[in-house]
Amino acid sequence: MAELLSALFQRPNFVVFVILFLWGIYIMAAHPNYVKKLIGLYIVQTSVIFFLVAFSAKDDATVPVVSGDMAILDVTSYANPLPHALTVTAIVVQVATLGVSLALVSAIYRKYGSLDEDEVLKRVE
Amino acid sequence: MNAQLPILLFLVPFVTAVAMPILCAKRRSWCRPLTTGAVSVMVILAVTNLRVVLSEGPIEYALGGWTAPIGIAWLDDPLAAIVALTMTVVALLSLIYGRILVAPALDKSVQYYTLVLLFISSLVGIIFAADLFNVFVFLEVAALTSYALVGAAGGKALVYAFRYLLLGSFGAMLYLLGMSYLYAATGTLNMADLATRIPELITSTAVVSGLIFVFLGLSIKMALVPLHGWLPGAYASAPNSVAPLLASTVTKVALVAWVRIEYSLIAPGIEVSHVAVLVLLEDIGVLAAIIGGALALVQTDVKRIFAYGGISHIGLILVGVSLGNSTAMAGGLFYLINDALMQATLFMIAGAVFHYHGARTLDDLRGVSNRSPWLTGALVVVAISMVGLPPTGGFFGKWNIVLGALEAQHYLAVFAVLASTLLTLGYFLRLFSCWFHQPVGIQTEQLQVAVPLRVSLGIASIALIVLGFASDSIVQVLRESLTSAGL
Repeated sequence: MAELLSALFQRPNFVVFVILFLWGIYIMAAHPNYVKKLIGLYIVQTSVIFFLVAFSAKDDATVPVVSGDMAILDVTSYANPLPHALTVTAIVVQVATLGVSLALVSAIYRKYGSLDEDEVLKRVE
Repeated sequence: MNAQLPILLFLVPFVTAVAMPILCAKRRSWCRPLTTGAVSVMVILAVTNLRVVLSEGPIEYALGGWTAPIGIAWLDDPLAAIVALTMTVVALLSLIYGRILVAPALDKSVQYYTLVLLFISSLVGIIFAADLFNVFVFLEVAALTSYALVGAAGGKALVYAFRYLLLGSFGAMLYLLGMSYLYAATGTLNMADLATRIPELITSTAVVSGLIFVFLGLSIKMALVPLHGWLPGAYASAPNSVAPLLASTVTKVALVAWVRIEYSLIAPGIEVSHVAVLVLLEDIGVLAAIIGGALALVQTDVKRIFAYGGISHIGLILVGVSLGNSTAMAGGLFYLINDALMQATLFMIAGAVFHYHGARTLDDLRGVSNRSPWLTGALVVVAISMVGLPPTGGFFGKWNIVLGALEAQHYLAVFAVLASTLLTLGYFLRLFSCWFHQPVGIQTEQLQVAVPLRVSLGIASIALIVLGFASDSIVQVLRESLTSAGL
């Protein structure tokens, strides 16, 4: 138990990630309001992106730019650029998802006059 | 030229989709011919691609000339080429079919056809992608366009599209999470590279949980029981013109992506038993096959019956591809091709029955057989293939899965194939008892089914039978490519 706790305290980033991820899932599952469900989804997405950034962080690292010949630099001296590239792409995907989902939610509101899932489902049936 | 075929297959629909708003803004009637033209070109390219791959071996395409570990690679092997051909043919058939069934408002909508083309191009991307992140990006493009396409029907479909969006995006996030675990553990995203690095790391918790998250994410996308909740509602309420396309591609392509990933693990000869969940895959497939079939049996909505039938078949294919020998895997992949065609045909029939007879539930179907010989013929052919009787492709897929299961001595899988066959027979008997029922005193003049519909239904039915006759050579090609990769 003590080992587990000390392992957790040494990795605050990952603890934050787990809390955000589970919190997002809870909001998605528990709230009947469509916009709140979207906020839950957004938190889940952000937590995964946070995880990507968190594990690629490095102390005293420099930018990964190679000048001149393609000689291999000392890997400990620069930050790994790939997770950041992935993060940017994942954010783009997230924004696109948000756009489509807001369009759907506003269409649902115009059609059924409510954002509450239970009420909308009642009207669908 | 031959080496550029994979990227051309992607660029033709993608460029057309991007150019569509410019070309067709003032001439709305051009949208459909342009889309159909682009997809026809894709079919020709896919046929050429398959011939080139079969005669000259797999093409490894390095995008922008940057080779694999640094750049982005696409792999065009026989599996990808065959699946790409299937998907483009299915897309073309559903576009031809859509000519009659498309709602007038959608037919004049530039956005609708742009979405269809973007969707098709992302399918090509998923099929060819050889690294995990590319699979993620294309899965998301496919998913976003399909949420929009399902929602295009308006009304009830919006609610189901939103549910699909929530679950689908959550699945994508699980996939991304698993992928970043794998990246953190191995330092690479390229599947060929992963295959060389994973064997020594297979006992690491990060790799194991990464694989599990990736599988969970993809199993939401492939609607594996118990994660299938989004599918029946979404497909039953999607616009008639696009339901065959969605039903026959989305889930299958996610499964192909999983096969690619799993394959890069099994190929180097790793004991999969280290990964606790992955040994259970056959059993999950068995459950999905039986539960999906049982749920199909209790539905009354025609489209929902077909949707649950598709869910049960995903389970069967998963059983085939995870038994771990080349017979079952080739059988499963062959069944996947058949299933894509069968789902397309089933949803075409369901859409046409609704369009011409206004029939949505089993009770509405009474007396359809007298009035629509074309629909009846196509339904009989596809039912034979779904149940799995010899002249059609469905039989040979199931046969190979059973042979592979016997080879692996996994008798539960054999039972699952037989049980799902019986369940399929069950729900088709229910369907037929209404379809061939002749109510008294209702006019029975024959209905003239429009020519495009006859063409698409005819080609699909013939293709199902031809697949049966060509099964030997297709399974052989699949097996050879699997054994050459070390299975």
